[in-house]
Formats: sequence, structure tokens, C-alpha cells
Amino acid sequence: MNEGETIEIPYRRIQRVIEALSYASVDEFEPSLELLRSFDDEDAFSELETAFTVFVEELGEAKRALKEALERHEVTNRELEGKLQTIELQQAAIRDLSTPIIEVWSGVLCLPVVGIVDSQRSAEMTETLLETIVAKQSRLAIVDITGIDVMDTKTADHFIKMAKAVRLLGADCIISGINPAIAQTLTHIGVDLTGVRTLRSLRDALQLYLREADQLGMNARTAV
Amino acid sequence: MALLKAAPAPPVRTLAIRGRSDVVSAGSLARRMALEAGFGHRRAREVAIVVCELASNLVRHAGGGTLHLEAATDGPRPSISVSARDAGPPIVDLAMAVVDHCDCGGPIDPALLLRRGGLGTGLGAVLRLADLFEYHATLEGKDIRALLLG
Repeated sequence: MNEGETIEIPYRRIQRVIEALSYASVDEFEPSLELLRSFDDEDAFSELETAFTVFVEELGEAKRALKEALERHEVTNRELEGKLQTIELQQAAIRDLSTPIIEVWSGVLCLPVVGIVDSQRSAEMTETLLETIVAKQSRLAIVDITGIDVMDTKTADHFIKMAKAVRLLGADCIISGINPAIAQTLTHIGVDLTGVRTLRSLRDALQLYLREADQLGMNARTAV
Repeated sequence: MALLKAAPAPPVRTLAIRGRSDVVSAGSLARRMALEAGFGHRRAREVAIVVCELASNLVRHAGGGTLHLEAATDGPRPSISVSARDAGPPIVDLAMAVVDHCDCGGPIDPALLLRRGGLGTGLGAVLRLADLFEYHATLEGKDIRALLLG
């Protein structure tokens, strides 16, 4: 066939190609290919049809690969998000679990309580505190509950009992940082607060200790 | 650090509770769910306490179990329902078990209180803080449910 030659194509063949391409344009590759492969004429225009067939096949393949890659990416993303969430939960867990007992001065223990206090944790804290007081022969334990704003009544009651148990061991116990809600809880259940010293803040508790140590002639500042 | 910011907790979560750290994570998650459902800060912490008590019991008495948390915001007040399921033995005497400083066998000897790793006030606390408390003996074990309103 020469370059200058004109060929006649029936309109329905052109229409079929247009239809096949519009299928391909909306990602309907199977019907598009079906249409393109249904041609059985052998002429110059059929070469164009074959070229379109290859084009649509390759486009379909590329789109499929892209979709798969996107799906894999999505799965990885979800996994990663799940892991990040686990890390966050664990960080929160570590924060809430740890109940460090710090010896701020020789003979002075500080127990800062943060997070959620349930009955089991409060029992664990008492046990650890009482054991540490005996082991370190401490004179004073400061329990700072600034970080706690809600406690069950029985757990709050238990905290006061813990302070009394500390006194029985021959040490003093100051509870600092009681917030209004817990103060209400304690008075509401009618806890006997005699013998339990409470102060506004950890700072007040330490200052009180220093003042009393000075009065008693103990040099707290150098006793570190 | 935007990536590290936790995605909002979905209103339904089922957690496997096996150890102490699971108990604490469940408590933190429950508090977050409560806050997102519209609970006040105090009430959200109470939700956390209830969840911790129930989860602690799963670990202590049944060697673990599952905790199902569900937040609802379609009612007049937001609510969180907590369901603690385990395959452990049923509670023989529920009326006694919810009494403070008691377990199924009756009052706990104060001298043993600390060594047993709990105060015996867990179910009592759940009863005090929750708006609804249900105990179900199931074919597999037991299911304790609590509902808290915000």
C-alpha cells in the first residue's frame, strides 16, 4: 500500500475502535479488548486496530500492577499505624505502672503517684513503701498524689491506712498534693485523719521536713 | 512528629488481657475512649478505674481473658460499656465477692491483704462507680459487664 493511497473504512469499524477506547478510558479493559479482538478484516486499518489492542493490553497490565502496589502500600501503612498505636499504649502503660520510690534525702522517701490507681496498684504501692522504709530505715515518707484526681473511696481509704502503717513502723508520713475531689471523697466516707499529715505540695512537705530537722538539731542539708 | 500522633480510638475495642501491662494499657485506652465520647475528665478516670479493676481480676483470678469496650454517643448521655470475659471458674458467692475486703470465701485476713496482691475492693469499686453491673455465668466461664454514663 502506498503512502498517498486513500482507503475506505466502514463507519461501524471506527465506531468500534472509539467504543473500545472509551471502555479503556474508564478502566474496563476486558470489554475493550473483546471489542478490539473481534475484528477479522485484513487491511491497513486492521494494523491500527492491532496497535490499539497492544496499547490497551499494556495499559491494563500497568494499571493492575499499580493497583496491586497501592494495595500493598495500604497494608503496610495499616500495619505501621497499628504498631505506632501499640508503642503509644505501651509508653502510657510504662508511665502508669512505674511507682518509683526515691530517696530524696537520707532517711526521706518520696513516692510520686501518677496515672490510674486501682485497688491492686494501691496494694502493691503499700507493700513496696513499707518494705523500703524498713530496708532503708527511713524517718519520713512523702506520698505525693498531685497526679491523681480520682480514686475509688476504698482505695482512698487505703491510702490513709498506708500512712498510718508507716507511722507504726516508726516513720512519719506526709501525704501531699491532695486535690479537691479526693479531699471530698475522703471526708465523705468519714476517714479518720488523726495522725496523718497532709500538705498542699511536695515542696511544702520537703520544706517542713527541713524546718523540723533544723529544730531537732539534725543537719538535714549535709546529711545527703 | 505528626505520624506518631495516635489515631483516634475507635468506639469499639476488644483487648486480650494477659498481664499487668495489658491492664494498664486497657485503663489508658478506656480513659481516652471516654474522653472522646464526651465524658468529663473525672468520669473518664472513673471509667479507667473500673476497667483496671475488671482487667486486674481477669489476670489474677482467671489467668487472663478478653475485655470488650464499647462507647456510645447516640443516647442522651455518652456511655461506655465494659465487658470482661474469661474462661476461669465462676464466682461462687457473688454477694460476698462484691463486699469490700472480702472474696468468695468471706472476709480477707488483714495480715494477708498485702501479700495477696489486692485489697479485695475491686468489684466493690466497680459496683460503686458503674451505673449498671451485671454478672453472667457463661458456658465458657464468666462475663462481667459494667456500664458507665458520662
